[in-house]
Amino acid sequence: MARQPLKRKIEEKVKPQFPQPVDFDGANWNEMEDDYTQLFYEQNLSQFWRPEDISLQSDLNVWDILPEEVKDAYSKNLLVLTFLDTYQGDIGMPVVSRSLDDRFHQRKAVLNFMAAMENAVHAKSYSNIFMTFLPSHKISELFTWGNKNDNLQNIMSLIVGAYEVLDRYTYVRNYDPEKVDFTEEEFLEAQWKAMCASVFLESWLFYSGFYYPLYFYGQGKLMQAGEIINLILRDESIHGLYVGKLSQEIFETFDAEKQEELKGWMFNLLHKLYKETSELIETIYDPLDLSHDVKIFVRYNANKALMNLGFDPVYPHEEVNPLVINGLNTETKTHDFFSMKGTGYQKMKTEALKDSDFVFDQPARGAKIS
Amino acid sequence: MDRNMVPEWILLNNQVIDENGGIKDLNKDKEAVKSYFLNYINKKTQFFHSLEEKLEYLVENEYYEAEFLKLYTQEQIAEIYDIAYQAKFRFPTYMGAFKFYNDYALKSRDGNNFLERYEDRLSINALYHASGDMDKARRLIRALIAQDFTPATPTLLNTGKRHRGEFVSCFLLEAGDSLNDISRIGEFSMQLSKIGGGVAINLTNLRAKGESIKGIPNVSKGVIGVMKLLDNNFRYADQMGQRTGAGAVYLNVFHPDIEDFLQTKKLNADDDIRIKTLSMGVVIPDKMIELARENKEMYVFYPHTVFKEYGKDFADIAIEMDKWYDELAENPNVRKRKINPRKLLDQIATLQGESGYPYIMFADNVNNQNPLADKVKFSNLCTEILQPTITSHYADYDKKEQDDIGLDISCNLASGHMGNMMKHKTIKETVRAAMDIMNSVSTKTDISYVPAVAKANRLNRSIGFGIMGHHGYIVENYIAYGSEENIDLIDVFFNSVNYYSLEYSMELAKETGQKFYRFEQSKYADGSYFKGRGEILPKTDKVKALFDDMQLPTNEDWKLLKENVKKYGLYNSHRLAIAPNGSIGYVMSATPSLTPVKQLVEERTYGNSKTYFPMPALDVAEFMYETAYRMDNFKIIDVIATAQKHVDQGISFELGITSEETTRDLQKYYLYAHYQGIKTLYYTRTQKLKIDECESCAV
Repeated sequence: MARQPLKRKIEEKVKPQFPQPVDFDGANWNEMEDDYTQLFYEQNLSQFWRPEDISLQSDLNVWDILPEEVKDAYSKNLLVLTFLDTYQGDIGMPVVSRSLDDRFHQRKAVLNFMAAMENAVHAKSYSNIFMTFLPSHKISELFTWGNKNDNLQNIMSLIVGAYEVLDRYTYVRNYDPEKVDFTEEEFLEAQWKAMCASVFLESWLFYSGFYYPLYFYGQGKLMQAGEIINLILRDESIHGLYVGKLSQEIFETFDAEKQEELKGWMFNLLHKLYKETSELIETIYDPLDLSHDVKIFVRYNANKALMNLGFDPVYPHEEVNPLVINGLNTETKTHDFFSMKGTGYQKMKTEALKDSDFVFDQPARGAKIS
Repeated sequence: MDRNMVPEWILLNNQVIDENGGIKDLNKDKEAVKSYFLNYINKKTQFFHSLEEKLEYLVENEYYEAEFLKLYTQEQIAEIYDIAYQAKFRFPTYMGAFKFYNDYALKSRDGNNFLERYEDRLSINALYHASGDMDKARRLIRALIAQDFTPATPTLLNTGKRHRGEFVSCFLLEAGDSLNDISRIGEFSMQLSKIGGGVAINLTNLRAKGESIKGIPNVSKGVIGVMKLLDNNFRYADQMGQRTGAGAVYLNVFHPDIEDFLQTKKLNADDDIRIKTLSMGVVIPDKMIELARENKEMYVFYPHTVFKEYGKDFADIAIEMDKWYDELAENPNVRKRKINPRKLLDQIATLQGESGYPYIMFADNVNNQNPLADKVKFSNLCTEILQPTITSHYADYDKKEQDDIGLDISCNLASGHMGNMMKHKTIKETVRAAMDIMNSVSTKTDISYVPAVAKANRLNRSIGFGIMGHHGYIVENYIAYGSEENIDLIDVFFNSVNYYSLEYSMELAKETGQKFYRFEQSKYADGSYFKGRGEILPKTDKVKALFDDMQLPTNEDWKLLKENVKKYGLYNSHRLAIAPNGSIGYVMSATPSLTPVKQLVEERTYGNSKTYFPMPALDVAEFMYETAYRMDNFKIIDVIATAQKHVDQGISFELGITSEETTRDLQKYYLYAHYQGIKTLYYTRTQKLKIDECESCAV
C-alpha cells in the first residue's frame, strides 16, 4: 500500500521520521530536547531506592494476627500490582521508548529508567513482601490465582494490547518498510493510545491498588510494607505525569475531528477497564465490605489520570477515606530514624568547596570562655 | 470491616490536613482528642471507689512497688494527687493524648484497661523521687502538672512500677582493642538494649583493617567487622519485640578505617557491608579542618602501631590531634596513609544527604569548652551527651578480678518547657525540681552488670537538663527564629538556667559532702570556668518585657557562686544537655528541643503508629512559623551557638536542607557551625521539594 500524502503539517518535533536516519549520533545532555525531560530525569534519579532498603521484619507481628480474609485481600491486591508493574517494565515503557525517534536519547533514558524501576525495583519489592509474609506454597497459589483471574487477564489484555499495536508499528517502520500499512498520523495515534494506556495504568490502576496498604498504613499497621508503597507511589506519581506530558504533545497535533475520535476511543477503554476493575475489586474486597469505599477511590484516581492526559475529570467529586488520601501525600514525613527509613533520602548533588568557604565574616558567637 | 470500623478519632485526626499536606481544619484535632477520650480512654479506664482502693489494688497486684508509698501517710499521698487533679489538665492535641496513653500510662496486663491517667503517673513520679520528703513532693508535682518540665521517657514511664525497665536509657561505652574488650562491648550492648537503652560506642581504639595481631601482619579486620556484630546485636536484643535496639558507633576521622566506615551506609552498599540499623558519628578534630582549609592532604594513623610506639590507646591520642599530629607524621614507626580531607568532608556531606548520617562531633570545640580534666572522645545516640571516658580493658573470663574498669557513661535526662517556665516565671524552681528527679534516678540506679557504667554513675552523678518548646514560645510572642530578639532571649534564658543548675549542684555538694570524681582537677575548682561569665540582662524591648518581673542572676550572684563552688564543689560532673525529645515533646505539646519545626503539621510515622500533630500556636500565629527547611541555616546556627555557651554538654541540632542544596552548601554549614563553636551536629534531614514546586507541570 502506498504511503498516503500528508494531509497537514505535523509539528517538526513529533513528526516521526520514515525511514529512520542512517547516521548514528550520541546523547548530548548539554542541549535540551524539551523544557521538562531533564527535570524529570533529575527527579527520577534522585528518588532511586532499592527494595532491600526496607526491613519488613517488624510488620510480621501485625501480619500474623490478621484474619485470613484480610491477609487474602492484602496479598491479592499486591499481586495485581505485581502484574501491572511487571508488564509496564517489560513492555509498556520500553515500547513507548522504542517508538520515539532515535534522536530522543534523553527521553528514552528517562523512560528506560522508569521501566527499570518498575520491574527491577517495584515488582521485586512486592515479592519481598510476599516472601516475608507468606509461605512458598501460598505465594505460588497467589500467582496461579492471578493467571486464572479473568478480570486481571482482561485488564492486562486491554493495556498490553495497545502496547503491542505500537510495538508492531515501530518494528515495521524501522525494519520492514515494504510492509508499512499505516500513515504517519496513524503511527502517532498508536503512540498516543499506548501512552494513554500507560497513564491509565500508572496513575489510575496502580493507585487503586494502593488503597489497602495505605488504609493499613494510616492506622499505623504494616508500616514497613506501607513505607515501600510510599516509595513506589512517589515514583508512580511522576511516571504518570511524564508520559502524560508526552502524550499531550502528540494530541495537540491532531485536528478537532481526530481528537474527538480519539477521546471516544479513550472513554471506551476507560469504561472497559472500569468494568473489569470493579469486578476485580468485588472479588477481593466483598468479603471485607470495603468494595464501595475502594470504588470511590478508583473513580478519584481515574479523574487524576484523565487530568494527567490533559482532559477534564468525568466522575463527580466524592469524599475519599481520609486515611488513604493522606497516605498519598508524598511530601517528606518526619520520621523516627530508629524505626523507619523515611522517604526523604536522595542522591546529593556534589559540588566542591572553595577556599573562601572556610572564612567567615560574621561575629563569633561561640564561647570565648575556655 | 468498612470505614466505620476505623476509630472515629483516627479519622478526625487525619482530617486536620488535606491531600497536599496543607492545613485543612485544626478544629478536627480538638474533636479528635475529645472523641478519643469519650469513646476510648474513659471507657477503658478502670474505675476505683477511692484513691486508697486504687493504690491497694495496684500494689497487691504487683503493678506498683510498695516501698516508696510506705514513706508517706495516706493523707500525704492524697494531698499530692489532689494537687495534680485540681490543675484540671487537658491534653491540647490528639497526638499528645495518644502518645501518653499508648506509650506511658499503666495498663492492665491483658492490655484491655488503663489503670492510670496522666495525673496519676505524675503523682507517682513526684512521690517516688521525693523519697518521703513532702516539701519536695509538693514542689515536684506542681512543676510536673504545670508541665514546666518532664523527666525523660524511661523515668516518666518506669517510675513506681513493680515490673519495670531502668530509669536511664542513655549509655556510652568505649571499646578497647582486644577480643575480650570487643566481646564485652557486644555483651553490654545487648544487655543495655534489652532494657531499652540507647548505646553509643567509640570504636576509635580498635586497630584498623590490615594491621597485625600478635605479630602476624595484615590480619586484622578493622572496625567494620565489629560494626556488623553490633548491628546484629541491637536488632536481636530488642525490648520484647516492642522496639528494635538503638545503637550508634563513633569513629575519629584520623582512623584509617574512616572511609570504609562511611561506605557502610551508602544507598547501594553491598549487603555484606551494609549496616542496617546502627547510627553513626564521626569525631572531627580541628586538625582536619585546618588541613582541609589549606587544601593539604592529611595522614591517618594506624592505631596498633601507635599503641606499640607510645603505649597509649589510640582514642586518647586522636582526640588531641593538634598536639600529636606532627609527631606521628614524622615518626617512621607509626604506620600511616594519606587521604584528602576535602574529599572526606564531601563524602560526609553526600552520605548525610543519602542517609541522614553520620553525626558530627567537633572534637576541639568540645574539649576547649570542657571544664573537666579528662577529654571527651565521642558522643551519644542523640549527640547531646559530652562526657569524658576512660577505656576499660577486660581480662579473660576466668580472671575477672584483673579487669581494668575505666569510666563509661550513663546520663539521666529531663527537659524543661521553655514556654511554661517563662509564663509561670519558674526558671529556678524548674531547674531544681528537674535536678531532684535526675539525682534521685542517679541514686536509685545501679546497672552493676555493666561495671564501667555503674562506676561512672556512682562517681560522677552526671545529669542533663534540656529544653523543649522554644520555637512554639517565640512564635507565640511574634519573635522570628534567628532574629536579634531570639538571640537575646536565648542568651538571657540559658545563662539563668546554667546559673541555677550550678547553684543547686553546689548546694547539694555542700549538704552531702560529695563532689564529683576529680572535681579538684576541674576548671570549677580553680575558678577558671567562671571567667567571662556574669549577668546577662535582656537588651531588646520585647525580651525585657518577657522577663519583666523575673529575678535574673547578677554579677554579684555569679561572683559568690564561683567562690562557693570552689569551696564546696559540685555534686554533679555535668548538668545540662539539650536532647532532641521526640515522643515526650508531644505529651508536653511542645515544639521539640531548640531547633525549628520541620512541618506545620507533622505527620509522625513511628514503628507502630501514624498521627498528625499540628504545631502549638498554629491557630493564632501560623504566619510566624517558618519551617526548618526554609530557614537560613546560618541563622539557626547562630541561635544554637548562643545557647551552647551556657550548656556544659551538647545540643542535639539537626540541619534541614532541601533537595536543591549541594554538598558544598551542606559543608559550608558544617564549617560555619564549627566556626561558631557548635559542638555536635545531629542528623541532616532532607525534604525533597514536591515536583510542583520545581517546575510547573500544569496538568
